[in-house]
Amino acid sequence: MQAIFNKYPRLWRVFNLLLPFLATLAALAVGAVMLILLGENPLAAYSALMEGALGSTNALADTLVKATPLLLVAVGICIAFRGGVLNIGGEGQLVVGALASTVVGLAFPDAAGVVVIPLALLCGFLAGAVWGAIPGLLKAYFNVNEILSTIMMNAIAVQGMNYLLRAPLIDPVQLESASRIPQTARLAIAFDLPRLIPTRLHLGTGLAILAAILVYIFLWRTVIGYRIRAVGLNPHASRYAGINVPRYIVLALLLSGAFAGLAGAVQVYGLHHRMFTDGSATGFTGSAGFNGIVVALFGNLHPLGAIPASFLFGALLVGANKLQRVMQVPSAFIIGLNGLVVVFVVSSEYFKRRWAVRRETETIEKVPIASEAEEMT
Amino acid sequence: MIDQALILILSSVVLASTPLIIAVCGEILTERAGIVNLSLDGSMLMAAMTGFVVALKSDSVWIGFLAAMIVGAFFASIIAFGSIRLRQSQFAIGFVLTLLGDDLAAFLGQNYTRIPGPVVKHFAIPLLEDIPVLGPIFFNQSPVVYFAYILVGVTWFYLFRTQPGLRLRSAGERPEAAFARGISVNRQRYIYTIVGGALVGIAGAAYSLDIKIGWSDGHIRGFGWIALAIVIFGGWSPIRGAFGALLFGATKALATFLQRRFPEVSVVAFNAVPWVLMITVLLLVGSDFTERIITMAPERMQRPLQRLLRISPPKALGSTFVED
Repeated sequence: MQAIFNKYPRLWRVFNLLLPFLATLAALAVGAVMLILLGENPLAAYSALMEGALGSTNALADTLVKATPLLLVAVGICIAFRGGVLNIGGEGQLVVGALASTVVGLAFPDAAGVVVIPLALLCGFLAGAVWGAIPGLLKAYFNVNEILSTIMMNAIAVQGMNYLLRAPLIDPVQLESASRIPQTARLAIAFDLPRLIPTRLHLGTGLAILAAILVYIFLWRTVIGYRIRAVGLNPHASRYAGINVPRYIVLALLLSGAFAGLAGAVQVYGLHHRMFTDGSATGFTGSAGFNGIVVALFGNLHPLGAIPASFLFGALLVGANKLQRVMQVPSAFIIGLNGLVVVFVVSSEYFKRRWAVRRETETIEKVPIASEAEEMT
Repeated sequence: MIDQALILILSSVVLASTPLIIAVCGEILTERAGIVNLSLDGSMLMAAMTGFVVALKSDSVWIGFLAAMIVGAFFASIIAFGSIRLRQSQFAIGFVLTLLGDDLAAFLGQNYTRIPGPVVKHFAIPLLEDIPVLGPIFFNQSPVVYFAYILVGVTWFYLFRTQPGLRLRSAGERPEAAFARGISVNRQRYIYTIVGGALVGIAGAAYSLDIKIGWSDGHIRGFGWIALAIVIFGGWSPIRGAFGALLFGATKALATFLQRRFPEVSVVAFNAVPWVLMITVLLLVGSDFTERIITMAPERMQRPLQRLLRISPPKALGSTFVED
């Protein structure tokens, strides 16, 4: 295998890109063994999973809808990781973004959708930015560990959401009734994000893909993006190069939070059309704030890599539901399968690096003329 | 002078802080050796669930604790293997394990939620419990609480007063120097990540078998993160960490108390208090803030204050070390 890659360097690059998917296949193979041990037919199970995720227009649309918040969060996580900070506060930022955008929708019930929707999405974006900037400021200027502060900001956001949805923002109908479900009134139908086909697929998916492309351009084709990456790679060197390191740490976390906030706004306007809570964050977010991190890791911390990664995870989540309904496979299996996929992808990185090192040493051992000849081919 | 109700509240604070103290001691051992076990929340939940179910089936709390230890050590060993052997980000692995542990514990334990099971029997230490005020607060508790007391002392002594403790810290502070002195850095890291994980497992079981009396994921979720924050607050010292845990327990108790006094204020405000407080504490302790306060103090006080307040993480925390 080594020899082939040395001969065709381009093949090596293709292989690198495909590696996460090969790792996923390997994880699915291990999952198949588990299924056999459970006494299920793995082929039938996986075809049920595939059918549930991709089998029909509706299934495909559901997968894309599920992937949308994952992608938006993951794109933000990429910025944070590239800036050398870990943002575990996606859940809280998503909740805050959703709340802010819901408030906009509730405040102007009679305005035109063309005005309200962009305004609401912007407010979600900004609210997430604020919620991300706080841990950023704490990290940059007071050296507070961002992993812990973002987790705590999650808890605070959830408490704030529970308070707002139980009292000031509660649906007047629920206030009258005895059940008092903590949710807001449904937003005006004029505010629904346009649906692309007669499915649940909404414009938010396109928005998320656009965001991924823009963030790629931002990180790799602009000066500010370059500085964020420089700070992430080596803060000391960046400081000597004249970069204001704390400022770019704040910016990285701020933008990271902003995209999670946008994800919250998109969930409200594209999917739920209202805000609700079950007391914890997951009720509304479906753990998208956390799963987005996994998606980002899976996509190699690259915004464009996050696009297929989010699709894959969306498919796994949607397909898992179907699998459970059809085959009574315990849902722990799906959780385990998700974990396996992540573990395999993460460890495939290790082998990639080992092969890369071996490749380099082999190239060096060759005489210069040979390597020049290789470059020419 | 001090009324009975207050003593009761304080003794419940001590009890409630116990798992945090145990988890903090475990995590300090791990982090002092240079590895961050970020999976605390997930591994504590898994350990709590396993401990409860095993104790229920075997009808022995101690076997339950043993099972919880194994689960905690297993989670920690994944982190050790992933970060040392596979050279992956400790934070990424720890975080993924947190999610996995949270979900898996909630799922596997769903048939066992809110059912009665075996609990640790309380045991008053003879003589010591008769000390006025302190006796009923500290020495009329369950054996797990006494274990936590001993653990804090032993961990401190081991870390700062023994040779193996010095080797442990050298692996986390200056791995290159330690390696040059013939210490196998990665072996140290493996050992203390796993030992720390086992303690975290005990902490998890302390919730389900002692404090919360029974298993339910909602009641334990979040404490792992608190423990991680307390490790920083405690400056990676078991004694200060224990105080941090007690302080956290006290603020929670205070929040509950205030909530009863002022029912018109939303519950949410009080629920958010401990979290806001933790952020503030991290802000105060981790920043130059403390330095500034110290320089404001009188000259004579500055040195002792500095020793008391200053914290610095192990220098090589979260890094990987390649032996060659």
